[in-house]
Amino acid sequence: MRAWRTVLAVSALSVVLAGCGSSDSSGDTAAAAAGPWSFTDGSGTEVKADKTPTRIIAHAGEAAALMSFGIKPVGIYADESVKTDPNLKSLDLTGIEILGEEWGKIDVEKAAALRPDLIVGDWWPAEKAHSGLEEGVDEKSKKLAELAPVVGVTQGKSILQLAEGYEDLAESLGAKVDDPKIAETKKRFEESVAKFKEAVAAKPGLTVAAMSPADDKVYVANPEYAPELLDFQSFGLKVINPDSPDKGFPYWENLSWENADKYQPDLILWDGRAFTETANAEWGKKQPTWFKIKAAEQGAVVAWPAYWLHTYGDFATELDKLTTAVKAANENIGS
Amino acid sequence: MSVSVQTSRRATALGPGLVVLGAVLAVVAFLSITMGSRSIGLGEVLRALGSLDDDGSIGSTVTLEMRVPRTLLGILVGAALGVAGAILQGVTRNPLADAGIMGINSGAAAFVVTAVTVLGLRGVEVYIWFAFAGAIAALVLVYAIASLGREGATPVKLALAGAAIAAGFGSLTTGIVMTNVDALNELRFWQVGSLAGRYAPILIGVAPFLIAGLIASLAFGRSLNGLALGEDVARGLGQRVGLTRAAAFGVVALLAGGATAACGPIIFVGLVVPHIARFLCGPDYRWILPYSMLLSPIVLLLADVLGRVVTAPDELQVGVVLGVVGAPVFVGIVRYGRLSEA
Repeated sequence: MRAWRTVLAVSALSVVLAGCGSSDSSGDTAAAAAGPWSFTDGSGTEVKADKTPTRIIAHAGEAAALMSFGIKPVGIYADESVKTDPNLKSLDLTGIEILGEEWGKIDVEKAAALRPDLIVGDWWPAEKAHSGLEEGVDEKSKKLAELAPVVGVTQGKSILQLAEGYEDLAESLGAKVDDPKIAETKKRFEESVAKFKEAVAAKPGLTVAAMSPADDKVYVANPEYAPELLDFQSFGLKVINPDSPDKGFPYWENLSWENADKYQPDLILWDGRAFTETANAEWGKKQPTWFKIKAAEQGAVVAWPAYWLHTYGDFATELDKLTTAVKAANENIGS
Repeated sequence: MSVSVQTSRRATALGPGLVVLGAVLAVVAFLSITMGSRSIGLGEVLRALGSLDDDGSIGSTVTLEMRVPRTLLGILVGAALGVAGAILQGVTRNPLADAGIMGINSGAAAFVVTAVTVLGLRGVEVYIWFAFAGAIAALVLVYAIASLGREGATPVKLALAGAAIAAGFGSLTTGIVMTNVDALNELRFWQVGSLAGRYAPILIGVAPFLIAGLIASLAFGRSLNGLALGEDVARGLGQRVGLTRAAAFGVVALLAGGATAACGPIIFVGLVVPHIARFLCGPDYRWILPYSMLLSPIVLLLADVLGRVVTAPDELQVGVVLGVVGAPVFVGIVRYGRLSEA
């Protein structure tokens, strides 16, 4: 149940930009700073304003993405404590009002006092809603949408698209995206991708599965709904596509513990939200069939940054960790 | 005269009936071990059972370390819930009495979320003990509150105290999970009511309580019969009503507390099976109790097997299956059966 629930939270966290993020902005930052302003939202609607928004309230990862381009929001709503949120924990949030630290709960009164002129939250195509406004969120919290226009990039097929979409949004909001620091981060990201591709290419037989063990079941992630897993696949990593994802909640295939060994990857990508250094040993002790997955038995597990990545910098850092794991992996464990 | 003839005829049929139910339970237990969300050849299952030794193959691990404890737990928990329901219905003279109405489920849930939030505990094998303590705390509170006043713990006061305690613990639980996602996650797993993910340590942990409770429960038949006639009559027959009630609650605490702790609040079994037993045996608790004890695990295991087979390789929690399959059955019993009051 843990994984299931966390996934809900995730779905809230991560939806991003569909292809439409490329948008409009004039490209000329000076003009953008004044207005009129417009941005094509992940839902496909073009949102317009007479003046370029400056008082922005953003959801956790989206805020991190904007801040990486120098756009500082006035308020942030997160799905967990900002001290543990992977997108926010290393950022300096002084001067930013924290409007929520739990999924589905936003302090709209406080938000209104900030007089926002733009709300930024990922667009979730499966749920047709922005982060913070999905099914299940408090009705009171949803009033956030009445304060200002809501825009976001579509959570879709790639973290890269997401990062690019927020770059476009930041640019439309007046960010200087040609700042050398930003270029440096992008370069670091490109180097990380190259190293990752190289490591993967050196192990052509390597297969991985993204998994999350829970008390009653084992969950196998469906890459189709996990943009970072699709990115790994596009970089050449063979991430197993589960053959019968849950129909109502296609983010995962649910396996009973009796069937835990259905997939035999060479390396397990472990849901990063639940991963600890000792988790593998604990689950092996607790569930009689966990170590029937040979990779688990051999300790071939690594944390997978599940459903939260929004920026080039974070993606680069996480890719480097995976590159190390891929290099150390034995491509014959599962076969 | 006719009454006594009827009773004796009934007794002659009811005795063999128990034997038949025992045999049915054995068959269902066999199904529960041989069928599941993983298909394992019958030969492989039998070989594993025969050697009683995990040879390292997944078939024998699943059979011996998962299905056997699961089945044994299902039998014990089912029997405990059925008997606890029958006793509660008898002692409170309330046909709707079960573990839920006495605050047991909500007490257990409140203790589980408290263990998760305050003590930071995780995992079902740790917090079942908190669930157990919570169930007992709820029962003790209900009984203590209902006992206030001169006339003691009357059925009406028990029902009211149960509702109040359930509401109190319920709001405590809600208050905690609203502010703590971890607690909510743990609670959601526990609260569905499931036999999955419970292995030997949990079985061994709760078995002594359940077995002791089941054996003790068989001694209550006669006194429950007395209470069914009304307290004054029972007193007139020389029964010490208060003592009976207190002892019965003690046994229910062992049974329902242990069962709820191990598997979460499993609905339906404790409420409905005693009615089916009463339908089969008539009003005599000396028969209702053993019938409930055998019928309940049959119902629970069948529902569990169903849940494991229909969505393989996934599984449905037994609590969900019981709700879906059980509700229409209960409606049918109420509509067409001669549903007698407790």
